[in-house]
Amino acid sequence: MKLRLEWLGSYLPGPLPGTDELGTRLTKAGFIVEGVEGNGPGACLEVEMTANRPDGMNHRGLAREASAALGRPFADPGPGRLAEGGRPAAELATVTIEEPSLCSRYSARVIEGIEVRPASAAVRERLEALGMNPISAPVDATNHVLWDIGQPLHAFDLDSLAKGPDGKPAIVVRRARAGERLVTLDGVERTLTPDHLVIADAVRPVALAGVMGGLETAISERTTRVLLESAHFDPGVVRRTARAMGLHTDASHRFERGTDPAATVDGLERAAALIVADCGGTVARGVIDVVAREVPRPRVRLRHARLEAFLGMPIPLPRCVEILRALQFEVTEAGPGVLEVIPPTWRVDVGLEVDLIEEVVRIVGYDELPEVLPHAFNPTWTEPTLAREERARDVLSGAGFVETCTYSFVSSEENAPFAGGAPGTPAEVANPLGEPFTTMRATPVIGLLAAARHNARRGQPDLLLFEVGRSYGMAGTAPRESRRATLLLHGRRQVHWSVEPRPVDFHDGSGAVAALFAGLGAPAPAFRPAAFPFLSPGRSARVVSSNGEDAGWVGVLAATVAARYDLTEAVVADVDLARIDVVPPPTTLEAPSRFPGSDVDLTVTHRLSLPWSDLVSAATAGAPPELLGVDARYLYRGPGVPDGFVKTTLTLRFGSAERSLSREEVNGWRDEAARRLLALPESRVDGF
Amino acid sequence: MTPPPGSVEEARLLLASELEEAVREAAARGGLLPADVQGLRVRWLGKKQGVVTALLTRLRDVPKDEKAAFGAGVNALKQEAEERLARLEAEAEARAAAAAEAAKAVDVTLPPRAFPTGRLHPLTVVRRRIEASFRGLGYEVADGPEIESDWYNFESLNFAPDHPARDAVDTFFVKGGGEGRDALLLRTHTSPVQMRTMEGRKPPIRVLCPGRVYRKDDIDPRHSPVFHQMEGLVVDEGITFAHLRGTLAAFARSFFGGRAEVRLAPTFFPFVEPGVDCAVSCVFCDRKGCRICSYSGWIEIMGAGMVHPNVLANGGIDPERYTGFAFGMGIDRIAMLVYGIPDLRLLFENDLRFLDRTW
Ligand SMILES: [Zn+2]
Repeated sequence: MKLRLEWLGSYLPGPLPGTDELGTRLTKAGFIVEGVEGNGPGACLEVEMTANRPDGMNHRGLAREASAALGRPFADPGPGRLAEGGRPAAELATVTIEEPSLCSRYSARVIEGIEVRPASAAVRERLEALGMNPISAPVDATNHVLWDIGQPLHAFDLDSLAKGPDGKPAIVVRRARAGERLVTLDGVERTLTPDHLVIADAVRPVALAGVMGGLETAISERTTRVLLESAHFDPGVVRRTARAMGLHTDASHRFERGTDPAATVDGLERAAALIVADCGGTVARGVIDVVAREVPRPRVRLRHARLEAFLGMPIPLPRCVEILRALQFEVTEAGPGVLEVIPPTWRVDVGLEVDLIEEVVRIVGYDELPEVLPHAFNPTWTEPTLAREERARDVLSGAGFVETCTYSFVSSEENAPFAGGAPGTPAEVANPLGEPFTTMRATPVIGLLAAARHNARRGQPDLLLFEVGRSYGMAGTAPRESRRATLLLHGRRQVHWSVEPRPVDFHDGSGAVAALFAGLGAPAPAFRPAAFPFLSPGRSARVVSSNGEDAGWVGVLAATVAARYDLTEAVVADVDLARIDVVPPPTTLEAPSRFPGSDVDLTVTHRLSLPWSDLVSAATAGAPPELLGVDARYLYRGPGVPDGFVKTTLTLRFGSAERSLSREEVNGWRDEAARRLLALPESRVDGF
Repeated sequence: MTPPPGSVEEARLLLASELEEAVREAAARGGLLPADVQGLRVRWLGKKQGVVTALLTRLRDVPKDEKAAFGAGVNALKQEAEERLARLEAEAEARAAAAAEAAKAVDVTLPPRAFPTGRLHPLTVVRRRIEASFRGLGYEVADGPEIESDWYNFESLNFAPDHPARDAVDTFFVKGGGEGRDALLLRTHTSPVQMRTMEGRKPPIRVLCPGRVYRKDDIDPRHSPVFHQMEGLVVDEGITFAHLRGTLAAFARSFFGGRAEVRLAPTFFPFVEPGVDCAVSCVFCDRKGCRICSYSGWIEIMGAGMVHPNVLANGGIDPERYTGFAFGMGIDRIAMLVYGIPDLRLLFENDLRFLDRTW
């Protein structure tokens, strides 16, 4: 927000402050001066205004802050005595507030017999310096007052207002009626509802209260009688009305943040003086001042001991009093070390003791605070979900995967194929940026696919990517978020001059998933054949934790989906981190057996459709505890093996922690396993 | 071949000259091989025709009183031959072994076989560095949902429903939520985690809340609708504004280096009072002014403040007994700063050439 040095100076008796010092002091006090434009009295400060300080968004208000920050006196020359004449204003118009909660006060003055002319050079120069186009003296006068003391005003052509039953032009502050229409100053016709507060005359709305006036009742070249409005509106209703209309004006900006309920008449006086100075005319006698409701003024207790304890820094009580008084707070002593403070009416942001503490410390300066650390503190708790996510990142990056970071939203089209893989229905953004960002992803894999396409297009098709992130969905009205570890493998593995590279395949994907389980300290998962619309049938599996929980999926991406991302044979996986049956870290580590184990092989010829897991089940069912594990040693298809069959060599690992095993007992167990394998349909076991 | 030596002394001289000659002769072809030495052994120590064996057979013809001296001389000669041949044998074997190893030589300058080296994303690396700085100060790490209610994201944090402070945060809403405080939205900061932490735990509280947040910003080099924040919350009896300053200064020194300083300035956030803008002295120019700090010597890195009493009360904590502070920074922004990343979009593009460099 731009403010002019000479204008600020009109409230600071004595020589104009230098812009450097002024900028530094205001910034330290919370009004960040971002830059200075021009020099001399006409220099303009660019000030960042926080939403809680509408009182600083005008020259008088910022000058008050400058006075406290610089330690210089502040003086408001005031509007001066206005020459009145002619008929009393109360005979020329009536004002009624129908909504006291939304408009606490409405003050009006009437000026008769004006001739609409341009504003004085001084007023125009000030407005132009702030970037406004002068319009006419009456309108410019209202703008000048807004920038002078922060009170937004509106000027009506009195003769355009419809008369009420008493024969006088009427001003009624009320809610709009459903379907009422108003053409605002910007020429737009607006349809209103009872959510909107309007200024109406006897028959129709003539202004959106606190936002913008109507076109039909605006000041024109032919206007001779003016009704000046200066009111205090509820911030919420102005904001709702302005937002509903898509409007943001200098007036609404201030009303939304809170104006000084006591400044309405002050604003009128200043504007009226400017208008008669430029346009002639007579200010009707008296102010029509309707106070619908007193705005309560808080009385806030400030305990000096609390202030020092809160800040961790001593500030003598007299210094606190001095600062608060410089900011025009009313301060009385309510007891030893206790102040009773009434904030000025324009300080709508102050209502609590801590607000007063802030006032004191921001004028003292945050630079004065000592640097102290709180007492030592010993953490006793870790968030298990985060620990698991972090571990998954370490395991996967250690396994050679590169971590990615992708957007959480995707297009509904991209999400659709995967929607069935996630619980619930897709979570959709109600006000998205645009089409690629409409839906919260059902799986981070969608982002990995886009990342893979990006890299493949740039000559980097050999990819091991992962993202540990969330998937999103809705279960009715409840959002569902799930922590996932997701993988994408694409292109070739073992790319080196010494060997023939091979394309990634399903088993790379299941291997990475198994590594993730192992790295998290979980028993190996099972991979069960399962169909997913986005995965290639026959090369897709559900990942099942050892406790039987469905922990996600892995597989080769369906060709139709892969084509959308210009990929071939991508292997993808999505694991629900919460469903990995992590066991707590071991509390004991057992010594390995000192007795050598014994491995024996069995070669089974069986149908291709018979899964490995069935071979393992057959080999282990009823086996003694000395059978430690079963591995696949070799798979052979070709001459000697019938079509549709495969020859699988299993290695059975036997061992015991207590004793050496004899050749005879191992062979006996092997023969039992062989007989169980022989019982599988259409199976043969070499040597049996 | 030279005639058989007539005496032990002759044999001795012959042994020396023959072995030296053999070594000299083999030098041109890289030295004696084990087979060469074996040949010499047969000539000198062979059981049938070896020179030493031949000398011994002449013991019969030596006069009785010289037998002992002759025998001792031959034995000495045999021992000397053994020693010299053993030495040559060891040398020849070492030579042979070296030659066998040399035959296995490879071109060590060829490209090595790649072990895939995974990487963590720069945002993970920077987040962990920030977390490490605060863990040293005793912070725990907390977590919460990204699809939040209006209550947790705004209202409980002192953003009244119609307050203009909401204008500063353009919010994405999610379909299917309720009205008012039950409306669903994508959290615009990780402060809801602070509120949930206060609800779930009693002071003392000292937590970090890292996570993904959302604002309705168009994508450009400095804006992204998705970004990441690290917030912190400390609530306890006797927590002061000076503790906030001390904590931010300790973090700045730990993260940016021992000479970093912080500068605090008043600002406004609805959930804190007083509110703080925190800048750290520019470590790139040592406060002399550079492009990175816009020639100011200071870089704004976070917002902070003392937790507003309304927020403590909403979290079920008595604001008269307890005080606290909170702070928050953009992880993406700090990553851009520490890595000199010119464009925020690079963090979401996932180009391997970009990601391969982090550690
Ligand atoms: Zn710099």
